[in-house]
Parts: sequence; structure tokens; C-alpha cells
Amino acid sequence: MFKELDPILHSQLRLAVMSLLIGVKEAEFTFIREKTNSTAGNLSVQVQKLKEAGYIDVIKQFKDNYPQTTCKITPHGIEAFEAYVQALQQYLQAGKG
Amino acid sequence: MSEEKQLTEKESLELIASMISKAKNSYIDSGVGPLYWGILITFCSLMSYAEYSLHFSIGFDIWLLAFFALIPQIYYAIRSKKQKKFTAHEESIMNFVWSTFAICMFLLSFYNGVAHPAHPTALYMMVYGIPTFITGGIRKFKPMIIGGIVCWICSLTSLYISFPNTLLLMTVSSTFAWLIPGIILRRRYLKLKHV
Repeated sequence: MFKELDPILHSQLRLAVMSLLIGVKEAEFTFIREKTNSTAGNLSVQVQKLKEAGYIDVIKQFKDNYPQTTCKITPHGIEAFEAYVQALQQYLQAGKG
Repeated sequence: MSEEKQLTEKESLELIASMISKAKNSYIDSGVGPLYWGILITFCSLMSYAEYSLHFSIGFDIWLLAFFALIPQIYYAIRSKKQKKFTAHEESIMNFVWSTFAICMFLLSFYNGVAHPAHPTALYMMVYGIPTFITGGIRKFKPMIIGGIVCWICSLTSLYISFPNTLLLMTVSSTFAWLIPGIILRRRYLKLKHV
């Protein structure tokens, strides 16, 4: 029986954001935008969706008088990401068989 | 990058691997820290050796430079932290390891001043090896693993060598622990920066 791929993660930009955040403790919004090659507007929407799903924490603060948004993956996000990767591997193994 | 694009399973895995690699490659040590301390400790050891073996004095304890050198190091660390756009997982561990080292060095200099142990340089080199070996292990950076081991070999060897020749072993330790790794890291950093 195949596990269903998490629809929150099975989208290019959201998956890229999660993959990036799994590799670091936390990252600024500008860093994520730069690495994912996305627009601020699009990224903002996807970050909000990940936040609503409880996969990431979004911390808004001021740094040197400028607003700063920092994102951090949550334990729930790590679980979801691991489950997603496992499901992907299952699909790929089935394809080989 | 678009949010709407439907990915195949293979594309998803490729995207995950590529983003993890991007995150990993974003963390490049500039090599300034190890290079700075490598040069400083090597210089202090050599100067100290020269003072004892050639019987002259520069008028102050050369090792005081190591304490004053903390000021630019702290300034650089604060500036780097402000400029940083992300925090790597191992950074907090590294901060604890090197803070522990700094505190131990401070306590050790007090201990040596009060207790006058027979082999003070052996103690210093033993402590030099600890954060160096841990950093090399965590970052999978062989030159620092080797550097840590060299410090411990020098520490042991210094027990059988008379002073001030033990200071030459301190030079070997700092060269292997920080100076050489610092040069390697700096060259790697400059090369990647220009790509």
C-alpha cells in the first residue's frame, strides 16, 4: 500500500523551502528567496502555507531598524519531511520493480 | 521557482538533494579564526623561545598578546553574526566548544602562575588539541583532526624534552592545529568566493 504524498510538501517551492530549512538551524527570508530563486510575493504565500500546516515557525523581528523574517523548521515539519521522503522512496522502488 | 509545477517522484528527490547541498555549501568557513590564532600562537611561541635561548627580553610577557587578541576576535565574531543570513546546526555546538577552550586556557594560565607545574607547555598543548580535534570531527575536516592529534603527540613528547625546547613543540602544535588548517580554509573560501 502506497503512502499518499503530502500535498503541502508536494509542490516545488514549498518542498525547496523545507529541504533548505532541514539543512540549517534557521534562515532569513532573504536567504531562502535567494537560494530558491523565487519572488518575494510567491515565497511569502508558500511560507505562510507551511506555517499554517505547523511545518515551520516564522519569527518576525527588527534588526538594525529593518524588519527581519526568520524561518525555522518545527519538529512536526521534520516528521512530515521524513515521511514524505520515505513515501517518495517507496514510489521509486515500486517503479524499479 | 514556481509553486504550481507538479513534480515527479524523481524530480522531488533531485530537488531535495539540490537544496540540501545549497544549504551545506552556504556554510563556508573563511578561515580567518584559525589563521589568526595560528599566526599569533606560532609567533608567541617562537618569540618566547628566542627570548629564553638567546637570553634577551622584549620587556613584557609576549603571551599577553593572546589575551589582547581576543578583542578583535570578539569584534569580528559579532560583525559576522550580524551579517549572517542563516544559522547552521553545528554553530551553537562550536560556540560552546571554543568558549570552553577559552575559559580553560584562562584557568590554565592562572593554574600555571600559582602551582608552577613541572611541564606547563604539556598542559597547554593537551588543551589545544581538544577543541581542534572536536571541530575537525564535527566538520569532517581532516587537517584539524590531524592538528588535534599532533597537539597531543607534542604534549606527550614535551614531557621528555627540556625547556625552552618545549616551546618549539608549541610552534609545531599551533602550526598543525590552526595555521595549516587556516591556510587551507582561507584558500578554499577565496576560491569559492570567486566562482
